[in-house]
Amino acid sequence: MYDNILVPTDGSETAEVAVEHAVEMAKRYEATLHTLYVVDIDAVNFSLGTEQLDRLKSGGLDEMDDVKEGAEEATGRVADRASEEGVDVVEEVRAGTPHDTIVKYAENNGIDVIVMGSHGRGGVKRALLGSVAERVLRTTHLPVFVVDVEE
Amino acid sequence: MSLAYVLQSGLLPEGLNVSFKPLPGVLVAAMLLLFLVIGYVFKISDTEGMWVAGRSIGNIENGMAIGANWMSAASYLGMAALIATSGIYGLAFVVGWTANFFLILIFLAAQLRRFGKYTAPDFVGDRFNSDTARALAAITTFLIGFVYSIGQARGMGLVGLYIFGDIGIPGLTGYQSMVVLMMTITVAYLALSGMLGATKNMAVQFTILIVAFLAGVFVVGWVNGYSTLLPQIQYGALINDLSAEFAEPFGNFDGFYIWIATAFSLIVGTAGLPHVLVRFYTVENERTARWSTVWGLFFICLLYWSAPAFAAFGTDLYAENIGPVYGEGGMATEAADVIVVLAAQLSNLPTWFVGLVAAGGIAAAIATTAGLFIAGSSAISHDIYTNIVNPDATQREQIIVGRLSVVALGALTTLAALDPAAPIAALVSYAFSLAGSVLFPMFFLGLWWENANRQGAIAGMVSGLVLWSVPMINEVVPTYGLLGGETLSPALATWMPAIGSALIVTPVVFIVTIAVSYATPEPPKETKRIVRQCHSPKRMKRQQTAEDIVTDGGEDPADD
Repeated sequence: MYDNILVPTDGSETAEVAVEHAVEMAKRYEATLHTLYVVDIDAVNFSLGTEQLDRLKSGGLDEMDDVKEGAEEATGRVADRASEEGVDVVEEVRAGTPHDTIVKYAENNGIDVIVMGSHGRGGVKRALLGSVAERVLRTTHLPVFVVDVEE
Repeated sequence: MSLAYVLQSGLLPEGLNVSFKPLPGVLVAAMLLLFLVIGYVFKISDTEGMWVAGRSIGNIENGMAIGANWMSAASYLGMAALIATSGIYGLAFVVGWTANFFLILIFLAAQLRRFGKYTAPDFVGDRFNSDTARALAAITTFLIGFVYSIGQARGMGLVGLYIFGDIGIPGLTGYQSMVVLMMTITVAYLALSGMLGATKNMAVQFTILIVAFLAGVFVVGWVNGYSTLLPQIQYGALINDLSAEFAEPFGNFDGFYIWIATAFSLIVGTAGLPHVLVRFYTVENERTARWSTVWGLFFICLLYWSAPAFAAFGTDLYAENIGPVYGEGGMATEAADVIVVLAAQLSNLPTWFVGLVAAGGIAAAIATTAGLFIAGSSAISHDIYTNIVNPDATQREQIIVGRLSVVALGALTTLAALDPAAPIAALVSYAFSLAGSVLFPMFFLGLWWENANRQGAIAGMVSGLVLWSVPMINEVVPTYGLLGGETLSPALATWMPAIGSALIVTPVVFIVTIAVSYATPEPPKETKRIVRQCHSPKRMKRQQTAEDIVTDGGEDPADD
């Protein structure tokens, strides 16, 4: 039923919790686990400067060492977890708006289910931050498995 | 009735006809919408192919971005204003703000490309191997964004008042209400991650501002019979008719000193402005870095050649239609700050045209504010928060901290601009004094003298910050009604004016940095090799940084 499972990660603890579920699922269904890190262009804009977006767009990620390292470290942790359980894994790093990029990747790579972590946020915090999981849910028709993390 | 109007709208002369103007209003709204659309398209455009080296930005487009990022309300409105009210003194701005790019071209552009980092504090932190130095540079960057933007807010407030009239926020004057409105729009846009600073948007902002300014100067010159095809030169015929204040060079010695101090401050200040320098980290290669600077300077000169002519036309029209420009009851600094718009208005041109000239001023102010605020937010979010406070920060946390920094900058700027201390160009100059005093010496010594070390940099930056504050507290803080409300020491204000304090502070910072570096251990060999690589005469490959070459090993780069 599930041949390709996608677990997006941003390296945070919230994402790690979802990884456990995703690895377990992949093992059970003998599926390939895809792990995707999205270099959030808003984060690049506010934290590194708008000029760096032009650099990204003209293929300069390779020279943005710490951005690349952070991304590969996050997907690498998922890959390690998957290998421990003998699950096949595909690592991917892309740049864009997180929920759009996740959905696009899923739809173009034959993903059957997306597994994501989410903060159990409400009220002001949610208004301020939104939730990537929530936006993914709203943008795709694919099944989305959300693991809520209580703080 | 008309008197009440002047009082109510606050500050602007009656001749400017402060009221809501539909056509110019639509023009400005359409322009803001255009920025929004370009930012949106830029953001969603496909980034999938980005692992392959994609399209990179060419010299001309980079040059336009440099022009828009650089030319603020101070260039568009403030420079003509100072030329109109202070005559030859205003030329210190034309000279300082163009000569500056030679300094960047020769000493910094290509060298910074080789260093290839993200933010200005990144350079300081990495070059001097110190988080303290990084934090000092980040705080300075934030402070520059704040001080620089006060002038932008004032420009937007005055021009906005002309276009939209008094929108009447209770408790505020017409001008203050407009400052609040325009800053709210700018901050909301930036905080919602508007890509105002994207190169495409900058290029459009440049096009709007340059077309508006040049159209303004040509048409005003033409319809009043001042000039035909070359107003930039033909305005010379007016000089004899204008008052002595406009035309007479160096009336007294004080003027001469402050002229030099201002020009010097503006030159070294530019070479230390984070929002200007960051572009050089990201251009394709060092050749692009150099040629972009040349194009940028050319695009900037298009406006700077015309500003004195615009000022002369405006001054003459003001004297003819409104009253004496100089002396008692003369032109107020607020009126001078919109002389460019005023000149178009007094030429009896259609409102949409006057609106276009005004819109150009808003484009200039918004483009620069975007650059400044993003530089400020990255200083806080990347350099202080992510690098020092919380190295495990997630991207989401970086966004929140960045957004909060933009909002904080916006709030501070708005408050300070409600009752600004000085005309636009002077307000902006305070930021140049700061950049020239604290950051320029770090960039210059950091790139060109390998023995400059951590202790030297910290001592230099601290003394720069302290010395910069002295004239600010002496002259500027009292204008906000604090510390007795009057300049504390007129003698100090003469010799170390806030508007040009870098003339004294920058050499002191150089001496302190060099002396302390000599007195303390040399920096690590690795750092010295990177510095050597940054100014080595040998060419480097595309998108290679000095650090790559040094870490990849190989022989010591040639020292020059």
